[in-house]
Amino acid sequence: MADHHVSRHVSRRKFLAGAAGASAVLALPGLGFPQVKKGAHLRLWILKTYVEPTNKAIEASAQRWAQSHGATVTVEYFTFEDMQTKYVAAIENRNTPDVGQLETGAPARFAGMGQLLELTSFARQIEGQVGKLSANVAPVAMADGKMYAVPWYILAAFWYVWRDVFEKNGVKLPTTFAEAKQAAQALNRPKDNFYGMGQSWNRTADGYGVMQSLMYSHGVGWAGKDGKYKSIKTPAMQTVMRWATDIYKEGLQPADTLTWTGSGNNENFIAKNIAQTSNGPSITFALENAVAKATDAADRKRKEEALANHLALPHPGGPDGRRMWAIAMSFGIFKNSKDPDAAMSLVAHLLSPEETLSVMRDSSGQFAPVLDKARAAAQDYFNKNENYRTFGRAAEWFVATGWPGPVTAAAAEVQATNVLTDAPAKVIVDKWSVEQAIDWEDKKIKEVYGTLGA
Amino acid sequence: MIRARAHRDTGAAFLFLLPLLVLVVGLIAYPFARALWLSLTDKYVGYPERFVGLRNYLYLLHDDTFHEVVRNTLVFTTGSLALKVVTGLAMALVLNSVWRWRSFFRGLFLLPWITSTVIIALTWRWMFDAFPGRGFFNSVLIDLGLLRRPIAFMADPAGAMLAVIVANWWRGFPFFGVSYLAAMQAIPGELYDAASVDGAGARERFWHVTLPGLKHVIVVTLVLSFLMTINDFNIIYVMTRGGPGTATQVFATYSYEVAFNQLRWGRGVTIPIFLVPVLVVGIVLVSRYLLRERAAP
Amino acid sequence: MTRTAKTFTLLGLAGFVLITLVPFWWIASMSFKTYEQIQFATSIYIPRPFTWENYTALLTSTRFPLWLKNSLVTAVVVTAITTVIASLAGYAVARLRFPGRESVASLILILYLVPPALLFIPLYRVLAELGATNRLAALFLSYPTFTVPFCTWLLIGFFKALPTELEEAAFVDGAGRVAALTRVLLPLAAPGIVASAIFAFTLSWNEFLYALVFIQDETTVTVPVGLNLLIYGDVFSWGQLMAASVITTLPVVALYIFIHRWMVEGLAAGAVKG
Repeated sequence: MADHHVSRHVSRRKFLAGAAGASAVLALPGLGFPQVKKGAHLRLWILKTYVEPTNKAIEASAQRWAQSHGATVTVEYFTFEDMQTKYVAAIENRNTPDVGQLETGAPARFAGMGQLLELTSFARQIEGQVGKLSANVAPVAMADGKMYAVPWYILAAFWYVWRDVFEKNGVKLPTTFAEAKQAAQALNRPKDNFYGMGQSWNRTADGYGVMQSLMYSHGVGWAGKDGKYKSIKTPAMQTVMRWATDIYKEGLQPADTLTWTGSGNNENFIAKNIAQTSNGPSITFALENAVAKATDAADRKRKEEALANHLALPHPGGPDGRRMWAIAMSFGIFKNSKDPDAAMSLVAHLLSPEETLSVMRDSSGQFAPVLDKARAAAQDYFNKNENYRTFGRAAEWFVATGWPGPVTAAAAEVQATNVLTDAPAKVIVDKWSVEQAIDWEDKKIKEVYGTLGA
Repeated sequence: MIRARAHRDTGAAFLFLLPLLVLVVGLIAYPFARALWLSLTDKYVGYPERFVGLRNYLYLLHDDTFHEVVRNTLVFTTGSLALKVVTGLAMALVLNSVWRWRSFFRGLFLLPWITSTVIIALTWRWMFDAFPGRGFFNSVLIDLGLLRRPIAFMADPAGAMLAVIVANWWRGFPFFGVSYLAAMQAIPGELYDAASVDGAGARERFWHVTLPGLKHVIVVTLVLSFLMTINDFNIIYVMTRGGPGTATQVFATYSYEVAFNQLRWGRGVTIPIFLVPVLVVGIVLVSRYLLRERAAP
Repeated sequence: MTRTAKTFTLLGLAGFVLITLVPFWWIASMSFKTYEQIQFATSIYIPRPFTWENYTALLTSTRFPLWLKNSLVTAVVVTAITTVIASLAGYAVARLRFPGRESVASLILILYLVPPALLFIPLYRVLAELGATNRLAALFLSYPTFTVPFCTWLLIGFFKALPTELEEAAFVDGAGRVAALTRVLLPLAAPGIVASAIFAFTLSWNEFLYALVFIQDETTVTVPVGLNLLIYGDVFSWGQLMAASVITTLPVVALYIFIHRWMVEGLAAGAVKG
């Protein structure tokens, strides 16, 4: 077994090296901006989110580029649901788009497969125009020390609480996971179908994302700084697992919490069945929309109150600081592209501060730019109110999959195998002990690193 | 004269079967062979595949998640089948004794069977929902005063399994019912008359005339439905995604997850191949049964 | 019929009517509720106020009409392909004499039982090699893999059930194989062929796994996959989803009310009775 892993490891490395060589040839020749030939045609894949205006704004921005360059762009959407299937299908089919939006772990995975054009020199070239990346976001785009994508924005999670409920009960707003749980205990009123918290360990970013924030904030990572496997059988991980499962065992959450899909916590929070939950700004979007749709004065008053009472706090921290995992969306260019120059030109256009802001303004706060120029220009927008000010700071707390190491294909696979959330589910549902669940999780993670290399 | 020339139609038969043959070879046999080959490789999305022998098979044999998948699939399949047979029989009995509008009711009861499985799954997800006012069962039970707080059916492994079984049952029972009805109507009336003369009551007539008359069709529906249910993807994928945890993960959904989330195609394709022996046994059973029946005059 | 038997029958009938209709009513009623009514559980059993907003939103601001069209085109094309292949093959197995006839019959049954879950990965690669993925052509090619075996099996039963004398009479009149098939047998087998066509249509209309895997372009997907697209990661448009379910179910139900008798006979004669 062990021998085999080594040989596989080596061959993957060789494969990678070959891929990198190929991409170097394709990369931009000299200096100067990519020239776009007339009549260029590009396929662009973007994430379709619940905030429909954002999708339209991205499409409009791409079409502006097409018009000014005499080119055409076909925009195709993927959703959180089918993102994985679509890229897998396209890769195996050699049908990848020219430019694709890639989520947090995707650049590492796809670069490892030799699918992405290396963009190190391109990124350096456009830095003057679009700005610099902060150090905590940069790992998202890197593989083996080279850049394979350029991050555009993050879709972060915040800690949503009902301010009025907290105030009425004289409970302090939480800044750590431990405080959030104490608040939940203080606010819990199961008799009235009102619960202190709503945190599902499901197969969406609301599950594995929060689990990573929880782990990283406790200083637990399944990889070291070198990106190699590290055991999670630690006392800190026990604290993490206990927090994750005690909120269920102590009845601090609605009974069906574990079955929620991505929308479950939104719905329960908006219906005021729970006092706090972790979520992206879609809750704010829904509450803003509700006001706009109010039918009469009384309805409007009620909805305005709800909007005023919901508070998006920075995601809780832990004993080791505040680290928030989030969906970071980058642009990658696929090697299969027939027109990499045009693709680069399109990416540069989309990343420019003006275009970034035009998209951000239609995003209800979910689109937090990560390049410094756009971030600086976005300050006015995020000054709208307290919640937006928090949204605007998302990039400060961001850490990527596999912290404290680089994002690797193995780290991305650990997230994709769902062990992070299946482990607490085993404690909650199958009544495993915390230690048993950690052992199981550790074994599964080790296995992924064993067969995939680092 | 015609029967004597057993080979005389070979040319015509070949022509008539040619389109089927092309389809079979190109789109079923060849992909199936590819599946077998992939199961012997370490194929990972984006990388070239390499032969690894039986490693995927050995891995799965020792994989605790896969063990759970086997258990779940068995529970899901047997639970669905048992419910389908019982309600199918009940439906056939009821329809058989309806004295008017029989075909209207038969058509009505068949509706679930023609409804898209994705829609069925979404519907039942709602029926079992615990969100206030949205789940049918919880709303009714609470409004009847039988329940104070909603039951979270899908949060509990047994409850989630129950939910997916019920959805699958609802989709399938009409087929059972209609098949049994057809077979019931084919039972000669004299048999019932004779039984009545011998003093058999309604219950005896059911056990001694109706059931034996349905034996064949029960076996066939069971085997067919078994083979379909054991490979079901849609209901579980849409309703639970295999959760909570891995409590409802079955062969097809696990295969999909390994292939498309973990990107391990070699391992992913191996999962359903474990079912091939079961399929073969089922197919042999059902084909013996069906072909024998067809051979009979 | 005795009084007790009558009571049992009526009770049973009522029970099955409820079992069948309650879930349909539940989704239909959701489809006529506003977002607010669903979110805050204001009118649980009957939508009050009653609204068409989910339907108008679905038809005007989503690609649902396009998905409906894709589903329809796919179902019609697949039904046509299936009917031709299955009629020819069904006839050959039922009525022609050639070596290996029994094996062909078994083979068809085996094919009928090969699960899509086993084939979707390798079939994907085959379709990719043919350059057919991400287009409806992928479905035209892949759906017959399950519709054809099923319909052939149905039709074998139908053709077998037809009296041989008719065909022999046609031969005596000097008609060839093809003429015997088209002029004599096909008209007689029409109910079976229609039944099998409806099955093919329904199976294609409802298929999910292949459509999910083989098609990526949002403008090319069929309704079942489109329904999944309405589920945006974080927010379900439940009302629209239910409206889409209602619209999708209606054509099949309508089709079916007209011809369900044939379908039932097809089921009874072909798939089961043998």
